[in-house]
Amino acid sequence: MLTPQPMKHVRILVLREDLPQASLTLADTESFHPDPRQPQEQQLTPLQDCRYQKEFQRARSRLDKIAQVVPVPEPDLSDIRVVGLDELTETNAWLGEAWNFCLEHQEGFRELEEAERLLDEEEAALANFAELHVDLGMLRTKTRFLDFHIGVVPRENIDRLRGALGLAGHLLFTYMERGENAHVVIVGPTGEKASELGSVLTNAGFQAIPLPQGLDDSPEAIRAEQRARRERIERERADLAEEVETCAVDMRERLARAATVLVLAEPFVTLDPAIRSAGHLACIAGWVPAKAVDDLEQRLGKTLPNAFSLESRKPRADERPLVPSVPVKHRLLQPFALLVKQYGTPRYGEIDPTFLFTITFLLMFGTMFGDVGHGAVLALLAWIFRKPLGRFYLYGVLAGLSSVVFGFLFGSVFGYKELLPALWMSPLYDPILMLQLALGWGVFFITLACGLTIFNRFAIKEPMAAVFGAHGVVNLLFYLGLVWGGVSIALTGSFGLIQAGLVIGSLLALAVYNWFHLDAAIGEKILVVLIETLETVLGYISNTLSFLRVAAFSINHVALMIAVLTLAGMMGAVGHVLMVIFGNIFVMVLEGVIVTIQVMRLQYYEGFSRYFSGDGREFSPLRLRRRPRAA
Amino acid sequence: MSSAAHNAYLNTRVAGKATQLFRAGDIERFVQLGLPELGQQFGLGTILEEPGSARVKSRAVEQALMQVLLEELTVLIRPMDPAERGLVVAWARQFALFNLKTLLRGKIRQLDPQEIRENLYDLPPQVRLSTEDLFRVENAVELLRLLESGPLSLLARQAREIYEKRQEAFALEAAIDQRYYADMVRRVARLEDSTAQRQMRMLVGSLVDRANVLWLMRFRFGYQLSPSETFYQLVPSPHLLHRERLLELVGLDDQPKVIAALPEPLRSLLADAGNLMEIQRRLGQHMSRIAWSSLRSGQSGVGRALAYLLLREADLRLVFSLIQGRLLGLPEPYVDLALGLSPAICVHQWREAA
Repeated sequence: MLTPQPMKHVRILVLREDLPQASLTLADTESFHPDPRQPQEQQLTPLQDCRYQKEFQRARSRLDKIAQVVPVPEPDLSDIRVVGLDELTETNAWLGEAWNFCLEHQEGFRELEEAERLLDEEEAALANFAELHVDLGMLRTKTRFLDFHIGVVPRENIDRLRGALGLAGHLLFTYMERGENAHVVIVGPTGEKASELGSVLTNAGFQAIPLPQGLDDSPEAIRAEQRARRERIERERADLAEEVETCAVDMRERLARAATVLVLAEPFVTLDPAIRSAGHLACIAGWVPAKAVDDLEQRLGKTLPNAFSLESRKPRADERPLVPSVPVKHRLLQPFALLVKQYGTPRYGEIDPTFLFTITFLLMFGTMFGDVGHGAVLALLAWIFRKPLGRFYLYGVLAGLSSVVFGFLFGSVFGYKELLPALWMSPLYDPILMLQLALGWGVFFITLACGLTIFNRFAIKEPMAAVFGAHGVVNLLFYLGLVWGGVSIALTGSFGLIQAGLVIGSLLALAVYNWFHLDAAIGEKILVVLIETLETVLGYISNTLSFLRVAAFSINHVALMIAVLTLAGMMGAVGHVLMVIFGNIFVMVLEGVIVTIQVMRLQYYEGFSRYFSGDGREFSPLRLRRRPRAA
Repeated sequence: MSSAAHNAYLNTRVAGKATQLFRAGDIERFVQLGLPELGQQFGLGTILEEPGSARVKSRAVEQALMQVLLEELTVLIRPMDPAERGLVVAWARQFALFNLKTLLRGKIRQLDPQEIRENLYDLPPQVRLSTEDLFRVENAVELLRLLESGPLSLLARQAREIYEKRQEAFALEAAIDQRYYADMVRRVARLEDSTAQRQMRMLVGSLVDRANVLWLMRFRFGYQLSPSETFYQLVPSPHLLHRERLLELVGLDDQPKVIAALPEPLRSLLADAGNLMEIQRRLGQHMSRIAWSSLRSGQSGVGRALAYLLLREADLRLVFSLIQGRLLGLPEPYVDLALGLSPAICVHQWREAA
């Protein structure tokens, strides 16, 4: 669980005609991580013919867009088969037609929206005119000398439009502003500059509001006419929606087939950067977990019609940064793996910190948030909301259970001490002991982190860094000497000669190492060595003290609950119950968040920053996309 | 950081960077250099030495030079307050608009997506438009529909309506450019620091004036648009060519009359300019003089930063023209013309001179 899964570099030589089948088989095994590096053989060059890739990209993009309009069924992967260029081209062409159909209907919906918007504007305009008591018939009909335009223009264009219309001999009046639009009346001489005016109005985004016929009718008649238009728009929208639905049902089978074709074609396209070829021969390179190599060879043997060759070797030392690390797959560790991933991916060869992270996280969370009731509520809520929380719900359940366990140790149920006998003691009974234990935990945690750092550096073949580097062997000796000296002072009143020798000796060793590894002037060297040595001393002391927060928060949790119960005790029966309920909710929410942040801080800053580089590559094997893409 | 402190920091940064701007005689010296020496001088040796066509190399050089400019911009905008940063980034958004126009032209002409992609610039996140979704569209109308759902919604709606009526890119691109300058003018007006605003009115105003003169000449006398159509495409400037002056200028019916009606110093600058290229060259030099004066004696940090970026952009464009001329093997007079070392003349005049 701690050590990384051994990987092998694999090179597969196949005939070019077998490439699609080889890609499919590799994807089906889900154990091949492509390596796009250029091989040493100069004759091997990238594939020149990109038609397959182009057709695929186009088709994939079309299917994704279609999925935003109509539901696309899941692909049928019962028959894993090679998709040829002809089939892919035909699928792409059909998807093009399907997308055009969707586009036309989307355009239809937009036109209806536009008509509805214009109707709204028209209603607003007529309501406005009604108050002005003007004869609207005059505005609708052109006169012999005057031309009228009534409509809406984006407000930000008004000023320029007014200037431009002025040059064309027209006047613009704004009579109402609604949202981003202004309602305007444009008046000018008839005929002379009609095309010029039309061009300016188009550029300015002017939309004419058609004034209805029969404006001298009663307001009820006009309103009825508008209502009829609105109903017509609704009807047309419903018809269009029905048409889309019918077509979606008709297209369903074909869409499923297209989705299947694309899923089967995808591995070849994804693998493309890792393929090199020379004549009829093609070479595919990648990384495979060592235990999966034999299975992969057997599967290729069964599926490829022609002969092939598979060579595998251990990763070279210079390739370590490129080798992908297989993530931890245990279900219980998944939510914690997500938190580790926020910091980075372990480099190949390094210890995967997920397991240690999980254990130490739960221990610290439980200590700082120890209460049977609060833990049970947290676990229960995470369980109830497991669907929206996804894999992360397990984090809530485990953290809650950890709180329950520590709640039994501390004898606390929703802050009440008398309901359960403490299996150990309440943190507030002996705060000094709690602080001492927290310090001890800090020393253990930092020592463990340094130990992992040393292991990781040896694992990636950097012995000098393991001994003299930050948090290496010499640093650890210094730290242990310092801790030993501190314990001696507490017990005997003196630091002790051996301890002092250990501390001074290791600091001198670090200073000498830094001195010879610095490329600078003497003055600068002295300054840097002095500051770095001082930083080492201060850093370890402050980092250890940082763990006092574990005890501080466990005491704080008890103190907060005492405050809640004291306040409740000062109230009447109803006030008591309300205070206990809301006080507990307040403590759970506030402390739950703060404790999580504090534990994360200790993990990332005091732990990961020492032993976890986080600059590795995650193992991401070629695989068939079993589910359709999310819209 | 206090206002005085951030101005001091910005001024120091700008002063440090300004030492790399070209001085008098630099261009003449670069003209004497061959391609390898130019590559070495501007850190482009690797690009120029790699195998590939002149077009591919030229493209890589342009991208590398733009990267230099945008990296400097990223450093300079760091200490600015949000309004100042917004203005400088709005200036740099011209590169994102190049991409948008390339995408539009490509989709209108139904070019191969790979070909379009090869012609797009790789931009930093501050100025980038999210082109990935835009890239997936199949035609110009679909592209504009997609833009309508983003920050360019108003522009895109108008542009689509224009495009649906006329099926050509001119009105679309004119609207994009018009909006680009109008946005900068609006941002200048919103600056709270009066010193910065004064300096920016001059600097951004000069940029807008330059665009207005060129557009006025091109739309009015090149494309024969009416005064009202021309006026609608222009942007009232906070410096010389304000709204009333533009209204006056678009009504004039030939180029000499327009030049004679321009305010000083534009009138004397453009007198006898002859053709649009020469007008463009002289306006470019005038813009550089204003930017230099802003850089040397400006009081506002952000004003000096923008002046530096304008000058740096002009310098890098010269480097690009020079290298492109070398890559394409153009005759010296053409290169001199592109570098602005000789007055722009018509082709037949050039042939006579050659």
